[in-house]
Amino acid sequence: MPRRKPGTLLPLETEILGVALARQRDGEPSFHGFALAQAMREQRGSKALTGHGTLYKALGRLEEFGLLASRWEDAAGVEGRPRRRLYELTGEGARVAGQAAAGPARDRPPRIASEPA
Amino acid sequence: MTAERMAAVVAWWARRYTRDLPDSVARRRIDELEADVHDHIAHERADGAGEARIALGIAARMLRGLPADAAWRRSVARSTTPEVTRMRRTTRSLVRIGLVTACILLVPAVGMLVSDGVDWGVADFVFAALLLGGAGLLLELAARTPGRLVYPAAATAIGAGAILFGEADDAPGLVLFGGLLILGSAALAFRTAQRSP
Repeated sequence: MPRRKPGTLLPLETEILGVALARQRDGEPSFHGFALAQAMREQRGSKALTGHGTLYKALGRLEEFGLLASRWEDAAGVEGRPRRRLYELTGEGARVAGQAAAGPARDRPPRIASEPA
Repeated sequence: MTAERMAAVVAWWARRYTRDLPDSVARRRIDELEADVHDHIAHERADGAGEARIALGIAARMLRGLPADAAWRRSVARSTTPEVTRMRRTTRSLVRIGLVTACILLVPAVGMLVSDGVDWGVADFVFAALLLGGAGLLLELAARTPGRLVYPAAATAIGAGAILFGEADDAPGLVLFGGLLILGSAALAFRTAQRSP
């Protein structure tokens, strides 16, 4: 896994924000882990889904940075399957994702406002 | 292997690497993975994939995520309840030392039952228990405090004492124990010195 420069995002984290932003623009702001892994696989044109540990560690970091928010889905909407954890871009997350997708410094890792302690 | 069996392996691994972490953190990771794997299986089955292929796909995702799992566990453990973690580690160490000591002492105890050549009194068992337990404690402390040579040095001193005492008392077991303790202490000191900053 690439080493993180302070205040920047890893490529996988940028990719997750990109998918989250695309979903938000499509009017489906919430997403869960497996749907995200699938979307990233399609985007990359790859056969493999992102590893469990890699995916959920990255989601946790983005939540720590305040770029994503998460909640458990309502138990009422669940029919015979485990509840999903739903993620959504925060305002800051949408700003950073937009910057990463459209900014002039596309090849550089996007900067986040602050690094958590 | 069926997809459900592989899902059980993923759940087992999740329970394994979240053990001793705060309940809410562990529960969230375990539940989130359960939902993910469930969705994975449902999606692949809807696509008409075979059981073996689904199981292989889940296994591959689990294996690819192992380094991240370990790194995540380390970072969570570092940031949460160091006191509780330290207490649990201490308890585990004491239990480990107690079990190893008891297992070793079972050898002469069983020997007394099956042979006339072994004749240990209560004092012998107490002495051996103190020696083994003390050596185990020193080795645990040496492993936990890299760079501090006092514990390996104390263990080495006990080992040397055991060799001298064993030679004088014609007790080859004690000499062997002393030798092994000295070798173990030296190896531990070398290994922890390499790890210390």
